Amino acid sequence: MRRRTSILHKVGIALILLWTLIPIYWAINSSFQTEAEEGSRPAHYLPLPVFTLNNYGQLLRGGDAFSHEILQTMLNSVIESGFATIGIVLVATLSGYAFARLSFRGRPLLFYTVLATMAIPVYALIIPVYRLFADIGLVNTYAGIVLVYISGLMPLGTWVMHHYFNSLPANIEEAGCVDGANRLQVLWHLMLPLSRPGIISTAIMSFLFSWAAFFFPLVLSTGLSTEPLSVAIPALQTRYTVPYTLLEAAGVLAIAIPAVVVLALNRYIVSGLLAGNAK
Amino acid sequence: MTLMISNAKRMKPCALAGITCLLAVSAASTSAYASSNSPEGATTDATINVLMPDPPPPNLAAFTAKTGIKVNWENVDFDSMETKIVAASTANTYFADATDVDWSVAGEYAKLKWFYPIEQYLNVQSMMPDVAQLAAFKVGSVYEAVPYDSSFGVTTINTVMFKKAGITSIPTTIAEYTEDLQALKAKGVVKYPLNIPFAAGEWLSTYWYELSYAYGGHVLSTSGKPLFTNPSSPGYKAAAWMVNAMKTGLVAPGEIDETGPLAFHDLVAKGLVATTFQDNAGHVGTLYDNPSASTVVGQIEYIRVPGLNGPVAGLDDPDGIGIPRTAKNPKAAAALIAWLTSEPSQATFAGLNGAANAWSAGMPNRSSVLEQLAAKGLAGGRFLLAALKASQPAFSPAPPVAYPQFSEAVYTNLHEAAAGTESVAGAMNAIASVANQIASEGD
Amino acid sequence: MSEVCPPPSSQLAKNVTVTNHEGLGSASPAQRERRNLRSPGVSRRRRRSDHVGYLLVAPLFVLVVGLVIVPAAFTLGESFFNVNELNPPVRFSGLSNFRQLVENSVVRMATVNTAVYVVVGVTLATLLGILMAVLLQRRFRGRSVVIALLILPWALPGVIEGIVWEGIYDPNVGLLNSVLTSLHLIHHYQTWLGENRFVTIALIELVQVWQIAPLSALLILTALQVIPDELYQVGRLDGCSSWSSFRRITLPLARGGIAIAMAQAVIATLNVFDIPYVLNGTAPTAAPLTMETYLVSFQDLNFGQGYALSLFVTVVTISISFIVVKTVYRQVEY
Repeated sequence: MRRRTSILHKVGIALILLWTLIPIYWAINSSFQTEAEEGSRPAHYLPLPVFTLNNYGQLLRGGDAFSHEILQTMLNSVIESGFATIGIVLVATLSGYAFARLSFRGRPLLFYTVLATMAIPVYALIIPVYRLFADIGLVNTYAGIVLVYISGLMPLGTWVMHHYFNSLPANIEEAGCVDGANRLQVLWHLMLPLSRPGIISTAIMSFLFSWAAFFFPLVLSTGLSTEPLSVAIPALQTRYTVPYTLLEAAGVLAIAIPAVVVLALNRYIVSGLLAGNAK
Repeated sequence: MTLMISNAKRMKPCALAGITCLLAVSAASTSAYASSNSPEGATTDATINVLMPDPPPPNLAAFTAKTGIKVNWENVDFDSMETKIVAASTANTYFADATDVDWSVAGEYAKLKWFYPIEQYLNVQSMMPDVAQLAAFKVGSVYEAVPYDSSFGVTTINTVMFKKAGITSIPTTIAEYTEDLQALKAKGVVKYPLNIPFAAGEWLSTYWYELSYAYGGHVLSTSGKPLFTNPSSPGYKAAAWMVNAMKTGLVAPGEIDETGPLAFHDLVAKGLVATTFQDNAGHVGTLYDNPSASTVVGQIEYIRVPGLNGPVAGLDDPDGIGIPRTAKNPKAAAALIAWLTSEPSQATFAGLNGAANAWSAGMPNRSSVLEQLAAKGLAGGRFLLAALKASQPAFSPAPPVAYPQFSEAVYTNLHEAAAGTESVAGAMNAIASVANQIASEGD
Repeated sequence: MSEVCPPPSSQLAKNVTVTNHEGLGSASPAQRERRNLRSPGVSRRRRRSDHVGYLLVAPLFVLVVGLVIVPAAFTLGESFFNVNELNPPVRFSGLSNFRQLVENSVVRMATVNTAVYVVVGVTLATLLGILMAVLLQRRFRGRSVVIALLILPWALPGVIEGIVWEGIYDPNVGLLNSVLTSLHLIHHYQTWLGENRFVTIALIELVQVWQIAPLSALLILTALQVIPDELYQVGRLDGCSSWSSFRRITLPLARGGIAIAMAQAVIATLNVFDIPYVLNGTAPTAAPLTMETYLVSFQDLNFGQGYALSLFVTVVTISISFIVVKTVYRQVEY
């Protein structure tokens, strides 16, 4: 029975990988083709016979306004997503711990309210937030955009962290408290290391979520100084043409950085999620 | 706001520190937002923000060298740009000193007073009559913007395909054109000869306006009332013709959703259609004769738009650039606009001073430059020159104030009619009710 | 081989705490007793604990109030006013915005469309999420790389996903057409989007499922990781098959993760915008409610109606999420 399961298991994994990766492969494939080649029937499943680096060249060669735009917005995305991740992890860990382990008046109400805010659609908030930011001078700043990203993923991050803290046995803090440490010390020295799994999951979710943001940064950034890559890519479509292979190349770039981050950290994702059994 | 203040009392040190840090970062990273500290009059050492749907011209640095004005050029796709303009203008916030103004929204912006009457800062008189499509941006007695390119409707045909189908003369009336289409299909030259962008988007609206005009009239009256509900009206006949073309297999079913890699112009470039009734002037040079994007180089030609009894004019749809009222430095913006629309610049953009400096933002806005291009052998140059001079505005006296809403009604209903989920009559009535509603809410 | 697998409750390891409602970590009676039996200064300590609690939650609270609740309150308020750039001034209008929305046939159509998006999306995303999570539950060689690859769709902005899948659905040169024709499953290239309303919505939603299933999987996997191995071992000893293990052990204990994954899917599908916009423009056939909100606000400049529609969407989202969470959580019994 175990062998049957493992073949079924392998097939299952293969299928979900195919499902996930075929569109990405298609983007990569198209990005190495010319426009003319791309429009052929049946489609070229491999970027042959004409393999071109022209699309990437246009995007990355540097030295002209066009590629400067791409490189600058990529940098902006990295900075904004990075700071947002740090912010979300900080806030989510503190609040998640508080909701899971501390009792204080209004805790359930606050918790549900925060979760409920996830239900509010972006379009409901964009104009009031934009006006608020305009009044306090946060339009077109890294800080403004980062704050918005944080407020966007905080509820989910808080939930994940609180879920993690919940799964840890209650006596651990008791032990810490008995040893004379106060709450904050317990949190810092004991709970944080134990909750690394949740922190890593939250960090990865935050980074990916911020990286993919489009509408808020579209409105909140008024120039290349803060515009992220997600906003710059649709701009490659001019009014008259849809340079499809160029767009695909840009899309591949857009997924390259999160892919590198996630693949580089894949060890930690696993060790993170595994530690649910930490006793 | 008050809530935030009362909670401040509760804020403990580390939370306060965190927020201070963020604000410090923000202060350090604010850039173009707090850029120009010069009063409205100064133009040197200023920095202006420009929001456009195209990448910057390659020789933009020459402008800065000449005037000392630095330009932060932000390139966003057209729809996103409209979103930003709306968000910032309704919040009465600065977002740019100069920005694109599409011909279609000149009326709307005029009513909303989101833009300066550009004559306040720019010498518009000196642009006449060389800049042929200035009138497209005139609303009442005020110019909302000036065009930085020129564009109008033309019909394009694939001459090789037409010849193969045995068509010997260029169609000049809609009846001839329809016959030619049928011949192209019947003789098996191409499966779907006619190109109509039936996806729900702005292209479909402008296609219909041109076809209506070809059938004899505009779609809206001067007071904005619909003129197309009667089956014998030009607008109705045009819509019926378009939908019928789809039903009789003259138009590919895939055009219902052509927003993808083969945007409807590419269908021409890939040799999948024989003709487009309403194409954009300039495409032969920039797209169809471009070997890296087209497989039909040298085969596409412009012809005059076939009408009921003979050829008709193309309708204007140029792109303009204007100065929002929230601009921090209108004078500097005006300097840029003057440079962008000047004859030497437009000549450079058109590639007359070397291909490296060409700026592919459409055809030049000045007849004089187009003249030079034609002399140099621009594909269909002479034709375009004459057509530019003859082009007509799509709406008289100006596009409806709530143009986006009107256009949305047009293209969604025509799309539904082509998809078969609505009848032509139903579509026309639906559009008409929106037009009436807009007209009644109007000034 | 026994069909009936003993319920897991009797096998529960002592130090696994499973919460049986929305998970505010309500302590078990034993834990509560332990706390109360501490020193007499318990009330003072609790007050201090209160302070610490508020301190830790303060940043969250400030951000939520400042960037979400206050703007939302503004939206709520303005939905009762006529806020139309083309029809100033701003004036009170009571329920008229809402009434106009109900009378608007395009809005009604968008509501139906959205309902289909939600049903299709939540079902597929949750099923796919469970499948992925279960396949990833146990360690195997390369698992970490597989997980890393599976999350990638969630990293792409919706606009880009729309562009990528455009190349798959394209009626003239798309991958789907190409493959199906090569496999002789269809005879000529089909127009996938724009003809049949349900097919269009389903195919568009498929793209969103591609995007959000990884998040569902991650959330469910998080819950699965908490299930101790001993349970499965005992189950196997008692003669459970893998399917019974799944039904009796995995599913019930994963309900927490599944509930929140479903809630996330509900929110995501109710707010879908970028993907239908890129794939099908603003055609009413497949336009979701958020697209109408955007059009009404940014195109028609009738912000009052836009706020009213947003309010409606928010209320619907909260209601459906609440129902989903309540239903899925409730059946856990120990």
